[in-house]
Amino acid sequence: MSAYYLEGPLSEADVTKLNIGDVVYLSGSAFTCRSRFQRYIFDENNKFPFDLGDRNILIHTGIIAIRENNKWKLVSFMPTSSIRFEKWGARSIEEWNLRLICGKTTMGPKTAEMMRKRKCVHISPHSVSPNLWIDSIQIEGVHLREELGSIEAPWLLKLDKLGPFVVDMDCKGNNLYDEVDKTVAINKQKAYSNLGISPEFEYTKLY
Amino acid sequence: MIKREVYEAAIFETIKKGATIISKDVKAAFEKAIEKETSVSAKEGLTDTLRSMELSEVKQNPLCPDTGWPIFYIKAGNESRIEGGFVGIEEAIRDAVARATKLGYLRATMKHPLTGDDPGNNIGMNIPYFTYKFVPGNSIEITYVAKGGGSECFGGTRHRIVAFADGLAGIKKCVIDNYIASTRAGAICPPSVLGIGIGGTANVAANLAKEAACLRTIGSKNPEPAFAKLEEELYDAINRLGIGIMGIGGDTSVLAVHIEYAHTHIAGIAVATSSNCMVARRAACRINDDNSVIQLDSPNWFGGR
Repeated sequence: MSAYYLEGPLSEADVTKLNIGDVVYLSGSAFTCRSRFQRYIFDENNKFPFDLGDRNILIHTGIIAIRENNKWKLVSFMPTSSIRFEKWGARSIEEWNLRLICGKTTMGPKTAEMMRKRKCVHISPHSVSPNLWIDSIQIEGVHLREELGSIEAPWLLKLDKLGPFVVDMDCKGNNLYDEVDKTVAINKQKAYSNLGISPEFEYTKLY
Repeated sequence: MIKREVYEAAIFETIKKGATIISKDVKAAFEKAIEKETSVSAKEGLTDTLRSMELSEVKQNPLCPDTGWPIFYIKAGNESRIEGGFVGIEEAIRDAVARATKLGYLRATMKHPLTGDDPGNNIGMNIPYFTYKFVPGNSIEITYVAKGGGSECFGGTRHRIVAFADGLAGIKKCVIDNYIASTRAGAICPPSVLGIGIGGTANVAANLAKEAACLRTIGSKNPEPAFAKLEEELYDAINRLGIGIMGIGGDTSVLAVHIEYAHTHIAGIAVATSSNCMVARRAACRINDDNSVIQLDSPNWFGGR
């Protein structure tokens, strides 16, 4: 396992070198995205509200920001669960040319396949540490805040060594949690045994 | 008579405290977990989380931006006298939630379920949600719970009707399987506080599970030995599964296991599980008839545990 300081926009080489379990710190331009925004774009067929340019780091998050002295002040930040965006995952990677998604809970098989095809990775935090992160983030702007509400609106962020995050989906089709699953599956059998749950146990079917 | 201006101020302080200050029992559970953790990554995750939570108190900002559903538990003294009555208390809670949202202590998370429309202040149909318990005395106790979406939406709340014939083995298997499924890839932000409700109708079991997860003091024991033993067995078993903080693998997979129960029809035993995420945000205060206010370390919902 290695640690990488990546600077966006990310190149193909920046992400193909990453393996599950590697630690990543992010710098450069990013934007936030949640389901209301993806429904607005993909299901309601609205125009993307800003020029993405080469901004290819997407963060699944709903920040808290307040207006102070005519500027946005970031109050709190934590990546949020990505699995609920699975419906739009592959399409987001393809149409928005994403190289990296930062979130939580990984994503499903369709997104994993698109990550493999288009060279994109998913990373997650291994802590809940908003206060160790907020000084690494500057707010550049926000779009559709009135229309979608503050947390569902896409925010443009400038990152400075934001991390640490762990690579949980690489672009070779590997998922970190599949590895944890194997350990947990073995330990589960031991837990059953310690708790007196027989290997032959079956629930009585009530309905 | 408890005055409106007193409970208005106390409620706002309690919400602010719940969102921004780590509870003493949560802090102690983290310190214990960090000490015994052998995985380097998991130890780093636990240490970073504790450091961030300690900074929230200094910066007066949320422990986590997902302040979730604003849920209130009110222990109402049977002889309490309140200016404006309990309707006044509920009005004050709604006003305080809106104010705390505007000031950035809470995130405007509550949306219309069909349209996704954002009232912007966390106030809407049946939200905030209130649960009452009536007790002897003339004081009231109000607990605020910030119930985050991670621990609620991604498998943290489940139930199964277990046949009486399947006994303890059925109950234990249900709990272990539920917990493993909901912690995969860090879904419910483990190490969580796991609440288990056994018995009653399914909704009673689910309510008891949520109260056990959010309101019990971490590490407290059910006073009945059979349930205390079950809590201990499940706590030990889950902490040997290797799930770890945010599901990355590690020694601490659950901060506590709390069980509450209700008598039930034994045709089928409702077993519900509910989890609170690792930051386990809640705060409580007691307001006395003489208008003195005491901020409590723990909700005291189950009287002493």
